[in-house]
Amino acid sequence: MEAVTTLKCATADNANPISSTASIWQDVLAQAVTGELIAVLNYTSLAEICEDPDEVADALEHAESERGHAAAFTAEGGKLGIVVPNNVNAKYWKRLRTAFLRQIDARGFIGCLIIQEVMLESFAVASYKRVGQVAPGSLGNTFAAIAAEEEDHIDHAMAILRAERALDVQRFDDKVYALHIEVMTILAQMFAREDADGHCELCHGSCVKQSLPVVGLTSSELRGVALQHYLRTLDMLGLPGELTLVWVAQLPV
Amino acid sequence: MPIPIDFALIAHQESWRAAADVLAVLRGPYLAPIPDDDLKEIFPWFPPRAVCHIDHRSVLGHSVHGIYIDSFIPPDRLAHKYRHENIERVRDAAACAIKAGARIVSLGGFSSILIEGDSDLLPEKGETVFTTGNTLTVAFVVKGIKKICALQGRDMGEATLLIVGATGDVGSGCARCLAPLVKRVVLNARSIDRLRSLAEELSAGGKAVDIATDLQQLSVQADIVICVASLESPSLLLGRLGPNAIICDAGYPKNLSPVDVLEDCTVFFGGLGQSLGGMSFEPDVHRVLHRHPFPNVGQGCVMEGMVLALEGRFEPFSQGRGFITPERVQEIEAIAARHGIHLAPLYNAQGPLEEVACETEGSADERQIAAPGRAV
Repeated sequence: MEAVTTLKCATADNANPISSTASIWQDVLAQAVTGELIAVLNYTSLAEICEDPDEVADALEHAESERGHAAAFTAEGGKLGIVVPNNVNAKYWKRLRTAFLRQIDARGFIGCLIIQEVMLESFAVASYKRVGQVAPGSLGNTFAAIAAEEEDHIDHAMAILRAERALDVQRFDDKVYALHIEVMTILAQMFAREDADGHCELCHGSCVKQSLPVVGLTSSELRGVALQHYLRTLDMLGLPGELTLVWVAQLPV
Repeated sequence: MPIPIDFALIAHQESWRAAADVLAVLRGPYLAPIPDDDLKEIFPWFPPRAVCHIDHRSVLGHSVHGIYIDSFIPPDRLAHKYRHENIERVRDAAACAIKAGARIVSLGGFSSILIEGDSDLLPEKGETVFTTGNTLTVAFVVKGIKKICALQGRDMGEATLLIVGATGDVGSGCARCLAPLVKRVVLNARSIDRLRSLAEELSAGGKAVDIATDLQQLSVQADIVICVASLESPSLLLGRLGPNAIICDAGYPKNLSPVDVLEDCTVFFGGLGQSLGGMSFEPDVHRVLHRHPFPNVGQGCVMEGMVLALEGRFEPFSQGRGFITPERVQEIEAIAARHGIHLAPLYNAQGPLEEVACETEGSADERQIAAPGRAV
């Protein structure tokens, strides 16, 4: 496996002293950069199990694109005078990566797409869009632009997934449900009002969720837009709305 | 092979309690209910979608299959200032109904706004037809007024009728149906132009009609009041009510109770019908969606689509605003009755107002005898 990133990886401990608002953006950016690096790892792993050379190329291109996003977010931190930490082994992110690797081990190309493109990207796109609306200046522009890019590259995956579903609807929906239980449970816990399992191992101090209103965000809104985006993505795949509503209603809060 | 969808109902929850109950059913018996704070954060973000499937049986023996689509309008965001975002939600819900292939769609509560004013708000609808359901609501409001007057031995011919929200589709329909039966009609609404137009129409039939945009301007004492628009406070009716007045709360959500300022009045919830053929829901959200003291009761507006589906009349029976006539009301009432759908037993927030024994076909276990209410 290739190196995660060529970016300088900082930890929360060696971040510079910063203003209270910059401190919030530091934590928001840390989550975004770590999410992008997880995507780099996931697409790189996916390339290793793809049989079609075009799919290999696509996966590697996506990995490169996600690496660019991580770099862009890190650069935005620099503009604010902060060093953005990342930690792909932070509690929730590690569990998400582990879930993805289980699909890799089973050479489950479709399962990998479902986790990365339907679940993780739903949360990324929806929350980036929202952050893009409130973050000042180039920080907001960067979040908005990356949200748009992430949305653009989902089309190809959706076409593959729709074709797969058409082959055997029940089997496909059962697979999505099994992955939903595993992955969306982690994301729901991650976006819950409070961290039931303690510190996320990424925020530099106490949990940033309580401070988000200072910059015009709330964790509840981010959770809401992410779940909405996820449900709409499942709609686009053709899963029955009444079924996916029950799935989401049963997530932990 | 998907089951064909004969009808779809589009509506929204009237309170956070109701919204919590819906989600509790969806979460199932083994998961704790979502805490209220989390519910209020999550619920508004749900995109409109089907919540349950419904089978509605006619007393003639056949049944129709449909879906209930919730627009997930937050119960505390029904006010006018949220109109545009709510229209978008209803529009999305309509798109769900169309995508599901529903042949006819009823629009409950706020949702009817989608085709009361400008039907261009509807998405591309293909074979699907839409009805506000307001004609059946009017039928049940009118029938309820007649029934309670008969139960109390009141002479409608000597009564003054006040309609709050008179120029809306339901209000104007009620006015047309009841004006010939009462002595005097008083109309209240926000738009003076619409009030004048409706008053002119009713006066042409020789009826005495008063109008007012502000209830406080009225000096009349009404014997019968129909509240179609939600009142900010029941106290607005103070000084406008005759002794032992009858008040029909025909709004959604219902917000009038026979307490405090309305203590001497008989208040009942109007516009509700009951199906003798019965309905079944999957998942079983029946008791959550239909929070009434009697089984198989629903708003006339949502029942109209089921009635038309049972009759095989997939047509936009109620559309636009102000077109409900006594003839159309009689027509939908007759169709509904043919399939065993009648005025629901009268009740209010305190319970039933009449003693009834209602047994629906196929649901003998739901036999229910209501205690007599205080006012009848």
